[in-house]
Amino acid sequence: MSAVTAFIRQPLVVALILIAVLLWLGETLSPGFASGQQILRLLIVAALLGIVAAGQNLVILGGREGIDLSVGGVVSLSAIIAGNLMAGENGGIPLAILACIVTGAFFGLLNGIGVTLLRIPPLVMTLGMLGVLQGLLVVVRQGIPSGRAAPALADFVSRTFLFGLPGILWLWVVIGLVMAFLLNRTVFGHRIYAIGSNEQAAFMAGVPVKAIRIALFVLSGVFAAIAGICLLGYSGSSFANVGEQYMLASIIAVVFGGTPLSGGKGGYTGTMAGAFLLVILQSILTTVNIDESGRQMVFGATLLVLMLFYGRGRSMRA
Amino acid sequence: MSRLQLRGVGKSYGATKALRHADLDIEAGEVHVLMGSNGSGKSTLSKIVAGSVRPDTGEILLDGKPVSITGPQAARAVGIAIFYQELSLAAHRTVAENICLADLPSRSVFVDRTALEARAAKYIALFDGVTGDDFSPDAVVQDLRADQRQLVEIMKALAGEASVLIFDEATSALDRAQVERFFEILRDLKGQGRSIIFISHRMDEIFAIGDRATVIRDGEIVGSRRIAETTPAEIISMMVGAQEETAVAADAAPARPAGPPVLSVRGLSGPGFSDIGFEVRAGEILGFGGLHGQGQSAVLRALFGANPPTAGSVELGGKPLHPKNPRGTIRQGVAYVSGDRSRDGVVTGRPILENVMPIHYLRERMILASPSALAAKALPALQALRTKFAGLGHPISSLSGGNQQKVVIARWLIDRPAVLLLDDPTKGIDLSAKADLFSLIRRLAGEGMGIVLYASEDAELLDNADRILVFNGGAIRRELTGAARTRFNLYQAAYEAA
Repeated sequence: MSAVTAFIRQPLVVALILIAVLLWLGETLSPGFASGQQILRLLIVAALLGIVAAGQNLVILGGREGIDLSVGGVVSLSAIIAGNLMAGENGGIPLAILACIVTGAFFGLLNGIGVTLLRIPPLVMTLGMLGVLQGLLVVVRQGIPSGRAAPALADFVSRTFLFGLPGILWLWVVIGLVMAFLLNRTVFGHRIYAIGSNEQAAFMAGVPVKAIRIALFVLSGVFAAIAGICLLGYSGSSFANVGEQYMLASIIAVVFGGTPLSGGKGGYTGTMAGAFLLVILQSILTTVNIDESGRQMVFGATLLVLMLFYGRGRSMRA
Repeated sequence: MSRLQLRGVGKSYGATKALRHADLDIEAGEVHVLMGSNGSGKSTLSKIVAGSVRPDTGEILLDGKPVSITGPQAARAVGIAIFYQELSLAAHRTVAENICLADLPSRSVFVDRTALEARAAKYIALFDGVTGDDFSPDAVVQDLRADQRQLVEIMKALAGEASVLIFDEATSALDRAQVERFFEILRDLKGQGRSIIFISHRMDEIFAIGDRATVIRDGEIVGSRRIAETTPAEIISMMVGAQEETAVAADAAPARPAGPPVLSVRGLSGPGFSDIGFEVRAGEILGFGGLHGQGQSAVLRALFGANPPTAGSVELGGKPLHPKNPRGTIRQGVAYVSGDRSRDGVVTGRPILENVMPIHYLRERMILASPSALAAKALPALQALRTKFAGLGHPISSLSGGNQQKVVIARWLIDRPAVLLLDDPTKGIDLSAKADLFSLIRRLAGEGMGIVLYASEDAELLDNADRILVFNGGAIRRELTGAARTRFNLYQAAYEAA
């Protein structure tokens, strides 16, 4: 394989090419689709997804069928907690952030304990947790009006913050840098890859396999909680199941970005591109008047097609 | 005319000739024992007869007629049954179902449970009184004890009503009464004119039940003897052959002055071994010998904490060591190298650097991993083993097997452990890598490290170990020191009874 084909077959490069193609397609279908203002709006939506996908990415990298299906529930719950604690006042922001992160970490911890100590398969554990969270959402919302975002939070997400970019994009960039550093330059990162690639060998080399896997689920809960806060800022008020769509979307973003569901390889840069790609795709589907159910079908089919690529160990494996 | 005849049967795995041009006659109504050291080819031979390995050359005749044994099912069809050493039972099914698994009685598409239970009951009855508690046709196999599972495996082999039965290490988990009953059954089968191929690691069993013994060495059949007309010593001499002179080279290895004990083990028990006790001194290479799977690996893995022991005490450098997991033992200065590097050693797909560093991360409680600082640590360790690699960032999977194993060993050289446990470390690696590895091991011993070496290749043990403990049936049977470290003594001890 020549250097050029090798380069083109990298998942990140594939995602970037697809992004360009989709933007061009969107512009053709509906002029103005790829305007600077519009791309900025897409990036904000992508950042919300990208933050959830960061946690999903970590859990999947850790291998052993690692997956977190409860992220959507945590996003919703976090948005509701944040909205109610802020109730439209800036003064409530610190407490809201703290409460959301603690909540996300708590449910992540439960997932992690279930998967490692109780040996429940991640798929089952986190799906069960999603059910618990959905039930909790109903209970929490009863009799209490959904809260409203503090003005400062709404500005942070939507208004220009620095160098013409809104705060959430800066947050996303920081998360991207932190993830890259974590995965490549820390012992923790190397150990994530080690347990995802060969858990037995990692165990024999003294890696605390269970502690790391629990930490990954905790981080996934925290990232989902942060996304929930940002989502509240984006939509102004929280409503039921606002985070529902993030379960499937975060998984697709990770896989699009070159992290196979079997774990052990890949990284977050690709996932960021995958998140953006998915948001553009969603926007195009909206542009051509495909409704939510249709979009879900396209998303599901996308994941299956991606699985076909990875399942056969084809060229997209880096 | 012989029941089973092998004519010029050969089998190679790559460049290794596991079996060359083997001629063997098994008579009707005899228990024919196969003997040989590790890797001599006796298992390959029995697998060829049972159809799980296809020979490259030669033919097999049954009652004088050539038969084509294309697979285990074909073997069963012509009347050959095998007891599998590695248990082949369906863990979640009942005893009765497992016994009849190869040929479930059925009415149209449904299993005929009445017939199933009747047939199973016949074989269970053979072991009446020795099966132990809670053994019934309805018991689920995974709830049974190891010896009971082994009995089910034997019953399953018997249920084939085959004319040739192969029992490869079929008595390893059985108690004395169970072995006695099993032998009575074998004598009955003999009386019915059936032929039995018997492989065991216990000389007393071989002399108790065998009629004839055939010795295999380095894939070649050395000869056959009538058990009644031979002695254990003669059989072992046949297994050793003319190699004895080379083995004496062991004496050339300078006996290092023994330092203080670094590792003391007392009364260590666990799955696959019991009441193990020994000492390793600083600067000593202690060898574990014996036939495959007699507890050598299990003891090393237990000491490392990979499969923690159930009883016993261990001291490392005078301080108590409680092996609970590798993490804890590594911190205290224990190192372990597995021969199964794809399972226990290599983190596939990750760079060489990340495969060298994990022990250093742990022992130094590191948080950050700066590639340049790590390279300074990794390079000398890799060079000490003369590892060939293009760059630390290249995936470990790009290396040859020998070099991969060197990377795995190099991870223990950055922070020197007090004791190094080597669990058949040269399995599947090339000769030059082996030489590099053993020269390193001797150097490490010279620097005062205590080393325990289990090698399934006897030559590696004889050439490198200062002292050899011979394992059989999960216990240490003999200690060979000084001039006693000979192939003859090693084989004799390997077959020694409990």
